[in-house]
Amino acid sequence: MGLGIALALRAGVWNVGAEGQYIVGSVMAVMAAVYLTSIPPPLRIVLMLVAGAGGGLAWMIVPAVLKAKFGANEIVVTLLLNLVASSFLLYALDGPIRGKESFGYLITDLLPADLRIPKLIPETRLGFGFIIALGLVVVFYVLSERTSFGVQVRTVGQNLQAARYAGINPAKIWLVTLLLSGAMAGLAGAIHVSGVIFALDPGYPSGYGYIAIVVAMLGGTSVIGTTIAAVVISYFVVGAESMQSAAGVPFALVYTIEGIILFSLAAAQYLMGRRKIVT
Amino acid sequence: MIDILFAQAILYQTLKLVPALLFASLGELVAEKSGVLNLGVEGLLLMGAFTAYDVTALTGQPLIGIVAAMAACGILGLVFSFFAVSLRVNQVVIGLGLWLFGLGLSDTLFRAFFASGAAPNVPVIGDMHIPILSTIPLIGRGIFQQNPIVFISIACIPIIDLFLKKTSLGVKIRAVGENPRAAETMGVDVYKIRYVAVLIGAVFAGAGGAYYTTSMLSTFILNVTFGRGFIALALIYFAKWKPYRVLLPLLVFSFVDALQIGAQGVGVPIKYFFLNMIPYLTIIALIPILGRRAVAPAALMQPYKKSE
Repeated sequence: MGLGIALALRAGVWNVGAEGQYIVGSVMAVMAAVYLTSIPPPLRIVLMLVAGAGGGLAWMIVPAVLKAKFGANEIVVTLLLNLVASSFLLYALDGPIRGKESFGYLITDLLPADLRIPKLIPETRLGFGFIIALGLVVVFYVLSERTSFGVQVRTVGQNLQAARYAGINPAKIWLVTLLLSGAMAGLAGAIHVSGVIFALDPGYPSGYGYIAIVVAMLGGTSVIGTTIAAVVISYFVVGAESMQSAAGVPFALVYTIEGIILFSLAAAQYLMGRRKIVT
Repeated sequence: MIDILFAQAILYQTLKLVPALLFASLGELVAEKSGVLNLGVEGLLLMGAFTAYDVTALTGQPLIGIVAAMAACGILGLVFSFFAVSLRVNQVVIGLGLWLFGLGLSDTLFRAFFASGAAPNVPVIGDMHIPILSTIPLIGRGIFQQNPIVFISIACIPIIDLFLKKTSLGVKIRAVGENPRAAETMGVDVYKIRYVAVLIGAVFAGAGGAYYTTSMLSTFILNVTFGRGFIALALIYFAKWKPYRVLLPLLVFSFVDALQIGAQGVGVPIKYFFLNMIPYLTIIALIPILGRRAVAPAALMQPYKKSE
């Protein structure tokens, strides 16, 4: 997810809506699991991931088009769509993907074992999703460092005027990077639900979308930097979450801690004397 | 007859929804005019809502609760400024940080201070009653039997407008937001002005947050503001950073919101989460119409490094 945001940030556009795309991606993945029963399980996992990416991409269409066509502020639109996404999650939990064993609660059934992404090491969270993530790191690295598209993205982000003179259409670059970024967030959601937690409930949104923004920033919007930042920050986040379940810390406190993490990382970035990369 | 009563209730509710958003928008507008985008308004609203509830529960005086909320948010605003202005950290990141912080802390403290089920209903600022006028059909209930804070908040529009245009501090805030380098050459302390502008924004957000718990409801619930802080950001954008222009899109939003709440109250057979989405979708749909050619303060979101 950080990779997608990093790419958009390079083009100078903010995808603050990763949280919403992530939620929608997760919901679409579960829908694929529940409704595509005619397709055998291993193939269905692939379709779940595709559905997740498609959901995230679809959620990004409106802000991306508004940005490209009307120059609308993408920060505001994506934030608003995050709120709509939480309502969409409730709708889906109440109807299409409500579990058969939900007993009136808004929760899905656990995904059956053959619809889960296989684990690399049993009893851990480390699954095949990690391999997918590594594969995407390679793809994004090639895309941004070895193709003309990557150069165009960077030009638009760093000097809009120069990009225009060079015949690059910034609106097109914004559109493509935002949509890609949305698809990545949706895919992240699909991987999380089918590889880590296997069920959805109203408490599912956990702020990962916002943390991913910091990941992309700390990584200096470069592919390698973002990857390192993602691994380090995941460590913090998992720590905060296990503290919640182990010590019985209330759920809302996790938000507080995430907020403090954002502040401290921002301060750390200042102390490290790093210059701001994006405006 | 039923229709008139419904229209009357919707008008009342539309106006009643105005203050929290208006306070938040006007305050944030001042902050953005100085070049600082505070995405954490939502967190401030929540902390304001909680503080006002807590202090009112302790003192029994909603007015003291409101003042305490403004003070608490002012302190948070200073912390935000320290990061955004002095440390020149990215404003989007700490804005989101402030939101998550406020979202989590307001609920955590609420649970810590009030055992479940033991949270008392606090006294609220009640509606005023203007005799005779309030019996006018259709508009009487909405306007003359309304919460007084509605009018105070609307009166703040010209005040903020004059403040930004006519006072020396207001002019400095705008200068710092457009061209900090030039402002500094003129002898303006850029950091100080930005601190003050963010502080004003935060104190207003505190008043807006307090309105939820000490006027609309008489208790606190998790995420009571439900994203209104982000709506405030959209409203400023629609208003093209002009105080007077905030009101129209705000009334449109409040009207749709009031209709939606009304529909839930009457028991329209639509699930509440669909109805909840409508105000946000309305705002997004307005963007191609109202959001064109919006010109932000030139230095918005740009940290400034003092020249030594």
